[in-house]
Amino acid sequence: MRESGGGGRMARGSARSRGSSTAASVRSSNPRQKVRDCCRKLVAFMCTQVGVGGLVVGYAILGAMGFMSIEGHVERPEIEKVAQKRDACLGDLWRVTTRENVFNKTAWQLGAAKALKEFQDGVVTEVRAGYDGRVQGDSWSFPAALMFSLSVFTMIGYGNMVPRTTWGKIATVVYAVFGIPLYVLYFMNMGKVLAQTFRWLYTKAYECSMEDRRRDSDSEPARIIVPSTACLWVMGAYVATGTVMFAEWENWNYLDSTYFCVTSLCKIGIGDFVPGANILDSRSGHQTKLVINFVYLLLGMGLMAMCYNLMREVVRVKMRELKSDITFCFEDLRLRAVACYRRNNAD
Amino acid sequence: MERKRGGSRRSYSGGAGGMGGGGRRRKAWTEQCKDYVRNFVAFMFSNIGIIGLVIGYTIAGSFMFMAIEKESVNTRVDQVVKARNTTVANLWQATCCTINLFSEETWRNTVHVELLAFQKSVVNAVQNDGYEGEQLNGNRWSFSGAFLYSLSVITTIGYGNVAPRTEWGKLATILYAIAGMPLFLLYLSNIGDLLAKSFKWTYAKCCLCRGCARRRRQMSTANNCSQATGSDSAGAAEDSCSSRETSASASVSDDDDDPQTVTVPITLCLAIMVGYVYGGAVLFSRWESWDLLDGSYFCFISLSTIGFGDIVPRDDKITSLQGVGLSFIFCSMYLMLGMALIAMCFNLMQEEVVHKFRTCGDVLRRIVRCRR
Repeated sequence: MRESGGGGRMARGSARSRGSSTAASVRSSNPRQKVRDCCRKLVAFMCTQVGVGGLVVGYAILGAMGFMSIEGHVERPEIEKVAQKRDACLGDLWRVTTRENVFNKTAWQLGAAKALKEFQDGVVTEVRAGYDGRVQGDSWSFPAALMFSLSVFTMIGYGNMVPRTTWGKIATVVYAVFGIPLYVLYFMNMGKVLAQTFRWLYTKAYECSMEDRRRDSDSEPARIIVPSTACLWVMGAYVATGTVMFAEWENWNYLDSTYFCVTSLCKIGIGDFVPGANILDSRSGHQTKLVINFVYLLLGMGLMAMCYNLMREVVRVKMRELKSDITFCFEDLRLRAVACYRRNNAD
Repeated sequence: MERKRGGSRRSYSGGAGGMGGGGRRRKAWTEQCKDYVRNFVAFMFSNIGIIGLVIGYTIAGSFMFMAIEKESVNTRVDQVVKARNTTVANLWQATCCTINLFSEETWRNTVHVELLAFQKSVVNAVQNDGYEGEQLNGNRWSFSGAFLYSLSVITTIGYGNVAPRTEWGKLATILYAIAGMPLFLLYLSNIGDLLAKSFKWTYAKCCLCRGCARRRRQMSTANNCSQATGSDSAGAAEDSCSSRETSASASVSDDDDDPQTVTVPITLCLAIMVGYVYGGAVLFSRWESWDLLDGSYFCFISLSTIGFGDIVPRDDKITSLQGVGLSFIFCSMYLMLGMALIAMCFNLMQEEVVHKFRTCGDVLRRIVRCRR
């Protein structure tokens, strides 16, 4: 709220000063004035919607590069350990094969199952110590790092990729400290703009439909409040779009896909379903998916902000109505009780 | 609506005027009833009521998730066992029938591919399905685990170390979040307000050593605040001065000096937040044997509602007499208190930041005007 107030005030102030400076530039157009005007316009633009959106995207890209350079070249001993365990298991299996006769199926299978069980326990231990099933350099590719920095400053926090080094952790904390206010600024600005647009569209549509029905009756120029059901429809349509999109790409079923969309847009980010993060089917196309997911989430956050902005108004009106309803109800009750008492007294 | 209400009020006032003195007792009764209901509603929306509501909602959610997710534990153990059996069968097929056993190299390559597939499925089971080895399963959805899960959903932290596996669990999570997040926001705004008010009061009473002395000084030299606060310490002087400037008339007209007009400095709010994170880091690093960086990383990631879930306290460190794990409960209490504290700090910082912004704008405007 305060950021949006600051931005709005700055934009207003710059607009006013721009008006005065254009008046001044008619009189004297010295270069210093021009430079100052240019700077002021730049600052005002950076505080507008496009500027803030660009700032957020730029910050995310910057963060992605930073995290790639910090986390990308880290030695990962657990990969080595898992490979060693796999080799040991392989040796065990070969020993089982040479010791047991190939014609004795049950004995061979018992031995193989025992070796595999050991291997499985070893893998479980390694995974819980931080192994994530990826080879070196694969996990911190650019789209994945972009997704990570988005999940940090939007406070989603999927947790499928986490910094492992000391410097990575410190960088995450610092990145979040500066990123979260920036994101809140984006949220507020985007919400205001989208809410204005949506309100304008809704008003136009409403007026059109009203004109068809009763052209001659005078229309009141009252301000039309967008009902909350319209917001809910928009949100529902956005979630449904995301559901179909992710379900088609990731071969999730629709429930999983809805679950992912809702938990992401609500900033919960449980992280058991992340697009392009499944290690079982790591095809080549998952990097574009991550980028599209990035765009989907940023737009969705803007839409959430819009709905928040519109619903707040509606909820406030509704609360006032509810309050007056309740007071009316109480007074009615009291009146009835008084009337009852008087009738009893009269009897 | 408006017209109806006015009409009812008018008729009510007429009825009250026409009523005799004998009706006062009964009227008092209805008044009492109304007051009672109103008090109840106000209490439910007041601070204690809302804390109770949030805790009750979380407990209800944890019982619900426990009941839903109880069956899913056995299925994932079965899944891993099935994968292992399939691998053994594949290996047997490869060993006995398809591959010539006399070339060890070929055999090794084939088995290695098979083992890699098996390893991937095990890693996937541990990461995504919460498989923890065959001997210690089922403790993820204990009561305290489900409690932390419910809290992490409604606070939008979303650790993800425990996640629902069943269809109904996912559906319940969606509905639970949609209903729970507004409730938690209500909690944050209410408790943040309350804490901000009490903190301002404490700050005014203790740190600025305000009392009757301040009021007297303020009354006498309301316009010359720099002189009046000259005896104070340097840090406090500016704040009390600025706060008195902004609301000089209001506080002078009050008979008691109002602690709510005090502006708490931003640095103090930041210090509180950093101190809370540091305190949590020390606490958790002692319980969980993490180092201090991991502890503060955990506290920061949790309190900023990012919630990666890579570092989460183990449940079996602190146990009560009945053997119930309590460290999740302590963690939940730390989180609820911490988020309220952060809401308080934002509440306190808001006006200060607005004030700073305005001053900054004034200064900038003056500089520009001067140069021109």
